[in-house]
Amino acid sequence: MNDLQNKLSRYRMKPVEYEKMRKLLGKEPSNIEWALFSALWSEHCSYKSSKIHLKKFSETLNDRVVNSQGENAGVVDLGQGERIAFKMESHNHPSFIEPYQGAATGVGGILRDIFTMGARPIALADYLCFGSPTAPRMQALVDGVVRGIAGYGNSVGVPTVTGQTQFDDSFNQNILVNAMAVGYLAPGDPIALSKAEGVGHWVVVVGAQTGKDGVHGASMASQSFEEGQDDLKPNVQIGDPYFEKLLIESCLEVIQKKLVVAIQDMGAAGLTSSSFEMASKGQIGMDLRLDLVPVRENLSPEELLLSESQERMLLICKPSQWEQLEKHFLNWGLVVAKIGELTAGRKVRLFWEKEILCEIDPDVLVENAPVYDRPYHAGQISSAAKEIKRISGNLKDLYQQKFLGVDHSSRESIYRQYDQRVGALTVQDASVDVALLRLPASGRGLSINVGCRSFLMKQDVQIGAKDAVYYPALQMAIKGCQPIALTDCLNFGNPENPEVMTQFVASCEALRRACLDLDLPIVSGNVSFYNETQSQNARGELVRENIIPTPATGLIGLRENVSDVPADVFQKSGRTVFLVDGREVQGSLKVDLAHFIQLSKLSASSQMVSQGGLFFSLLKMCQGQIGFEVNEKSESLTNKRTITSEILYAAIFEPKDQDMFENYLSQHKMSFSKLGKTNDSDISILDFFITREAFDTDRARGLRRDFEILA
Amino acid sequence: MKKKMGIVQFPGSNCDRDLFSFVTKKGYFAEFLWHKNSFNESDFEALLLPGGFSYGDYLRAGALAALSPVMTSVKSFAKKGGPVLGICNGFQILTEAGLLPGALIKNQSLRFQDQWVDLEVSSSGTYFGKKLKKTIRLPIAHGQGRFYLPEFDLKLLQDNDQIWLTYLDNPNGSMANIAGVLNREKNVAALMPHPERAIEDWMGSKDGWDFL
Repeated sequence: MNDLQNKLSRYRMKPVEYEKMRKLLGKEPSNIEWALFSALWSEHCSYKSSKIHLKKFSETLNDRVVNSQGENAGVVDLGQGERIAFKMESHNHPSFIEPYQGAATGVGGILRDIFTMGARPIALADYLCFGSPTAPRMQALVDGVVRGIAGYGNSVGVPTVTGQTQFDDSFNQNILVNAMAVGYLAPGDPIALSKAEGVGHWVVVVGAQTGKDGVHGASMASQSFEEGQDDLKPNVQIGDPYFEKLLIESCLEVIQKKLVVAIQDMGAAGLTSSSFEMASKGQIGMDLRLDLVPVRENLSPEELLLSESQERMLLICKPSQWEQLEKHFLNWGLVVAKIGELTAGRKVRLFWEKEILCEIDPDVLVENAPVYDRPYHAGQISSAAKEIKRISGNLKDLYQQKFLGVDHSSRESIYRQYDQRVGALTVQDASVDVALLRLPASGRGLSINVGCRSFLMKQDVQIGAKDAVYYPALQMAIKGCQPIALTDCLNFGNPENPEVMTQFVASCEALRRACLDLDLPIVSGNVSFYNETQSQNARGELVRENIIPTPATGLIGLRENVSDVPADVFQKSGRTVFLVDGREVQGSLKVDLAHFIQLSKLSASSQMVSQGGLFFSLLKMCQGQIGFEVNEKSESLTNKRTITSEILYAAIFEPKDQDMFENYLSQHKMSFSKLGKTNDSDISILDFFITREAFDTDRARGLRRDFEILA
Repeated sequence: MKKKMGIVQFPGSNCDRDLFSFVTKKGYFAEFLWHKNSFNESDFEALLLPGGFSYGDYLRAGALAALSPVMTSVKSFAKKGGPVLGICNGFQILTEAGLLPGALIKNQSLRFQDQWVDLEVSSSGTYFGKKLKKTIRLPIAHGQGRFYLPEFDLKLLQDNDQIWLTYLDNPNGSMANIAGVLNREKNVAALMPHPERAIEDWMGSKDGWDFL
């Protein structure tokens, strides 16, 4: 290998990118420049394969949106002065290498995106995809990821209030760990931005000392796992939630007191990306003294620039306010240092003591990053969707084989490890489908839900991606919540593969359309490519396997108040249970949402028809103490098509007052059927019968049935 | 005049703000007391030590906080009979500081546990929770909440009526189902469950309201 090939491989760059870099610099790049370009032009930092497609999401923005793509997180205005900052992010690759730290630092990273904006983090949600329970390391991966999320979230004092956990063989060698954080801006709270402003203002680093952890992490996450991935271990960062907690409190304090001009967390590619992005946004120059960055071990300038040591922030302050700022941070026991200042020259200059290491226009790195329109099959982007398969078999077998299986078992052994109530705002915790928090100033409800169902994505990308918006939105509506805005975390395989790129583009298109349909702005997001694994098949050939394409979504919604939220399970015996159709009725799901919100107000419990169809949904509603008996005349039930049909976009309601409920349905000419009646205990659905006792015994072990490690 | 309660703030405390809001909802004045400082004891009617992960729970939960400067004032306040309440991490700190007997070790499950528990009120302190019902419902959220002490000391605790709250269905392996204890003089009280997370119907229970 010659020197150039060596560097291309070390810095994970393509020859064409090297040519572009050389052209922009007008010379052969130095080692420092190689390192800078490698980090900022990585897929992870530059979004080079996704950018042109993500741009279309801006069509979904509406006047609720205060801040969106481009800042650390999206901010939406809920009225009455209350605003919410939220975002979702992946930490898939690190979590597969080291599940505890990978998941923990994923939580830490997404929290920093939130409080960087001046918003107090009030909730966390997670979206997890694992492989088969019998796949190598899978028990330990599940256990480690859950402990990691718990270990970090609980300690920083942010409740984990909801989530989703799915299992499929395609994740055997590439699990998905997506975390969403939600922050609250009370009336009058200032929003902090990351745009560097003011020549002569100081550049300050605060938080943990910098070490070698995570050097080159950004470019690691931008390639697939190969054999021998153990070498990547030093690329994984170690988190310290205690430091994060101190950072949260101190940063909110200085933002509140208006002691910072701009602030940005140091995430992927650490100091490099934070400093260059801040300078580029402000169209301003920056002189940085790398030797002044507080370190905990000897680091080369290159390592210092690329270190992904956790719990660090970069901020800009006025020299006149330095003393006050320093006092706040020192009071919280944090290390804070002035490492540079803003200059008029539009260049970022990196110094080591007096020696200049590099001088470069930040736009060259940030704005001129490569943008790829990677090949995909345009004809397949909005082709007619095929029909979604129904699950088949008799009800008894379905119950035994599927309902008690890993897809439907209770997640209690996971969420019980999360503090769901710290902050004292939790109304509905992770034991129900949709989480609800009470907004402190107005007393209204803030609902949080994550979406994307693997079993649909596996069959049809467009149906699945639309469902990632519709389904969580409808789940909110039947609890009386109006969906307000959405963040996404797009997990896909190798974008250089046209099949994968087709899945990606089709998903983006479906998300965009569904969000336009529901008037849901996409305010922030994250893309994770290269979720694939290379392995040997039986014939000894190397094959690449992509994950199920997974455009995970995180939705927030608003509720007028926090009282009388319909339960997920039946509440009282002797009540008639209704199935109310969505979608086909009025032609637009937006209208259905409005109706479902009204119907929720008349209901004691509600549930969307879920995976496994009407049959499994009714079983789920029997998980309290109340049972159910089918109405033998109900066409929806006797019709074998519907009972196991999985995407009806229909909802099951248990009305408190049957007359009022039926009046509403007939007034609005809604299509519905009566499924049966609730009873004292046992469950009978067509030819399926089970006693309360047997049902409770069957369900008791939950996920522990397949994951003994969680016991 | 309204009474003032002091809420001790350690780095890593995370229920301090929740307690502040509880105290003010009850109509008292609340003031944070920073871990680095001592304070004027006569300014306060009562002191509260919040939950969280003080000093990151490093070394042992509560071990470092027990040695922080503010605790000198807390100890002196308690010795003079001033009412002190510890919740969760606050309980751990009070045992580490020697103001309460016993120790809180890792849950039997070796995992963090968040769940609702039913509790029996077995005794009464001199100040906190005097109007509590016989059985109450509160949430727990802890990884190290298993109360432990030597058999002989347990006997003393029982004889002196210092067992404040017990779990009806023991979630963590606590000795004698203990969820909360009192000191000998009954002015220092602590519990692992979180009353401040159960003070409104929408929180799932209002039983915490009567603790202050």
